[in-house]
Amino acid sequence: MSAAFKLQPLAIEEYTLPNGLRVVLNKDGAVPVVSVAVYYNVGSRNEREGRTGFAHLFEHMMFQGSENVPKAGHFQYIMKAGGTMNGTTSSERTNYYETLPANQLPLALWLESDRMRSLAVTQENLDNQREAVKEEKRLRYDNQPYGQIFDLINEMIYKNFANAHSTIGSMEHLDDASVEDVQEFFRIYYAPNNAVLSIAGFIDDATVKELVEKYFGDIPPQPLPPELNVEEPPEVASTYREWEDKLAPFPAFLIGWKTPKRRTPEFNALYLAGKMLYDGDSSRLYQKLVKGDESVIQLFGFTDERRGPSSIFVGAIPKPDKDLSKIRDVIMHEINDIAKNGPDPKEMQKVHNQLVNDAVRTRQSSMSRAQQIAEFALYDGDPTVINRELDELLAVTPDQIKAAVDKYLNTENRALLDVVPAGKG
Amino acid sequence: MNQAFQRSAPEPLPPVEFNVPGFYQTKLDNGLRIVMVQDDRLPLVSYRLAFNWGDVNDPEGLIGVTSAVASMLNEGTINYSSRQLADEIERLGASISVHASDDFTILAASTLSLYSTEILRLAAEMVRRPTFPEDELDLYRRNTVEHLKFQRSQPGFLAGEQTARLIFGEHPYARVAPSAEDIEKLSKDDLRTTHDTAYIPNNATLVVIGDVERDDIMREIQDLFGNWQTGNLVAPAFSEVPKRKSRTLTIVDRPGSAQSNIVLANTAIRRDDPDYFPVIVMNQVLGAGASSRVFMNLREEKGYTYGAYTRLDAKRRGGDFEATAEVRTAVTGDSLKEFFYELGRIRDEKVPEAELADAKNFLTGVFPIRAETQEGITNLIVNQLLYDLPEDYLQTYRKNVEAVSADDVQRVAQKYVRPDEMAMVIVGDAKEIVPQASSYAVSVEIFDTDGNPADLPDQEAAAN
Repeated sequence: MSAAFKLQPLAIEEYTLPNGLRVVLNKDGAVPVVSVAVYYNVGSRNEREGRTGFAHLFEHMMFQGSENVPKAGHFQYIMKAGGTMNGTTSSERTNYYETLPANQLPLALWLESDRMRSLAVTQENLDNQREAVKEEKRLRYDNQPYGQIFDLINEMIYKNFANAHSTIGSMEHLDDASVEDVQEFFRIYYAPNNAVLSIAGFIDDATVKELVEKYFGDIPPQPLPPELNVEEPPEVASTYREWEDKLAPFPAFLIGWKTPKRRTPEFNALYLAGKMLYDGDSSRLYQKLVKGDESVIQLFGFTDERRGPSSIFVGAIPKPDKDLSKIRDVIMHEINDIAKNGPDPKEMQKVHNQLVNDAVRTRQSSMSRAQQIAEFALYDGDPTVINRELDELLAVTPDQIKAAVDKYLNTENRALLDVVPAGKG
Repeated sequence: MNQAFQRSAPEPLPPVEFNVPGFYQTKLDNGLRIVMVQDDRLPLVSYRLAFNWGDVNDPEGLIGVTSAVASMLNEGTINYSSRQLADEIERLGASISVHASDDFTILAASTLSLYSTEILRLAAEMVRRPTFPEDELDLYRRNTVEHLKFQRSQPGFLAGEQTARLIFGEHPYARVAPSAEDIEKLSKDDLRTTHDTAYIPNNATLVVIGDVERDDIMREIQDLFGNWQTGNLVAPAFSEVPKRKSRTLTIVDRPGSAQSNIVLANTAIRRDDPDYFPVIVMNQVLGAGASSRVFMNLREEKGYTYGAYTRLDAKRRGGDFEATAEVRTAVTGDSLKEFFYELGRIRDEKVPEAELADAKNFLTGVFPIRAETQEGITNLIVNQLLYDLPEDYLQTYRKNVEAVSADDVQRVAQKYVRPDEMAMVIVGDAKEIVPQASSYAVSVEIFDTDGNPADLPDQEAAAN
């Protein structure tokens, strides 16, 4: 059983350059591949009012050239070396990463260091990427049924602007972003002392350290960005909103709860409770709603983990003519059951096996390891959390789950978003 | 400040050899092919049980039955109810899923190696002893009908549906989804008959990859599948794919749509075509990635779209070549202009050597990245086996990519990229699209999102 299962710890080395860049290494030579990830401690939560979407627009600018790398050269250098790359922006951080044949490590470090040192910003590139981002917004949000519901419910759950606004931002704010904004954002947030560089895969310790020093050592540090306040006021009331979605073929609803921050015992307990409620065909809500009552077409749920107040969601697309409030009653009934009786031992065993399985699987690729250790280094100041996180989750007791569900989910303190189809029909 | 080494891209370190794992292969007396790869990097096991039977094999009048059988395997067997199967599989932290594609049905199971035997037993139970309970089938039918309705709200589905119809005509590849009527008439007997015909050992391959002992797992396989009855293989006959003669425009009208989803398509190659390697290199130059020509043009130069790509879909019995982008409605016509410029250029001009080398380097370089995970290796091997590719396919993949010349690229571009006979499919606001796009085609037809023919929107009204 899972209790007897011991995951081999990953070999992790961490050090800091004199300019403040934190470097994390994970050597694993199974396949001659190397992954490099740079995590900057800036996300949409750092945006100021009137500039929503800026952190993400900035991420696009990081592919538009730097002192020695031409516009779009980043894509081309990586791809012609046989690698893959991307960048993403969340509320918490902006990351950039590439996986390459192991012998191409110098290329990755050269590219990442050049844009950390000397991003090239022009009006033309900004205008062009503004358009690409607007198309991304249309593609992923505006032109998709239910595409905007997560952004809408976050505005209901969170009261602090830093937490509440969307990462993709508004079209108006994207239009307002100027070249000066880009330059200022770069100076404040894209400094070596505000970043983590992580490297995982087929590496030689001495070589990698020499290369890191060579490429990143002389990038000057900057004053650290101002402290960010992500606190949320305490609340007791539920919030409700009806949203007319002209692309949605069916009604749907989404319930969201505010939770404590990531990696607290309570957040972990709610993460496990979420798995019991909505994860997989044997989960409580799947068996009640998709099977038993046959009332929903699709059921979904997840946790959004943040360094500040976080959240958990459950949503459903009911079948036509089903009573949405009855479905919500079933959801609250199951939540109430866990709050009163706690999870049953079989559920605990299942979740433990799933956690072990997830932990092993996410260690397979060098990119996944590089990202995890970078994230732990940035959020927790300690990349070796990767070797403890599973044990922390396995240590959550049924009583902790019961108490956390009672305190955070079995309450009126939740947001409910009803999606009403408003199409041509 | 700016030191010399910072000014240009560094030289790589010495290359590191990468060897694709070889595999052990055997066959049971009943014809079940077994392929095994030892992979003890982590305590994991992956299984694939694949059948040479896909949605194209749906018999006349039983459209959707192959996918229905695949979906129903976990909804009840002789020894387990649907609920019990879900509980048992998830109790182990494992997963088993079954999916039918055009050409194949594949059961995929993965687990901690601790439970490798338990999960294989459950997989065997699902494949060999499904009961297709009436109440579960009824739920499947109703849910599938709702799901089909839901798909119609997704522009990508609507574009794919029209493209497949235009490219494949009477061939079953033309059908991307069954209709509600097809699903509603499927009976338990239909599923049982199809199951008995398709799920036979002499039509199947079992692939085992992971941290397992070969002798142990072979004993288990013999025990679970040894007495599986050999069946009669049915050789299906399929209609010809139509020959297209001109460029046509098909619009799926989605009034108020924020974007136009563009697909430009023509027929191309089967997966085992000898031109496969030149075609993937050509596709890499033209549009497969973020450094390819159409992306650089439509996104990086013009900012029309978040992504523009070309795609090669090479199936077992045919396939197509597609250029795709989701662009803002106002630049639909401008995007077509740039697409056709790039489609013409790859045919008319020989690709420069440096650009060719970049494309080949990408394809050879990402190959080991795909083999990093157990799922990745498993997929490489399963594809080789199912498409009947040569035994040394994975070992010679990089050599075959490297052998492609600029002449090869131009030859296959002229053969498989045929702008003059492409089907142009655009999902979006028809009244905005027609004036921008109709001059690119000899004919225009319009459908609504239900797939029914619709009228051309009133252009005068649109102008006001």
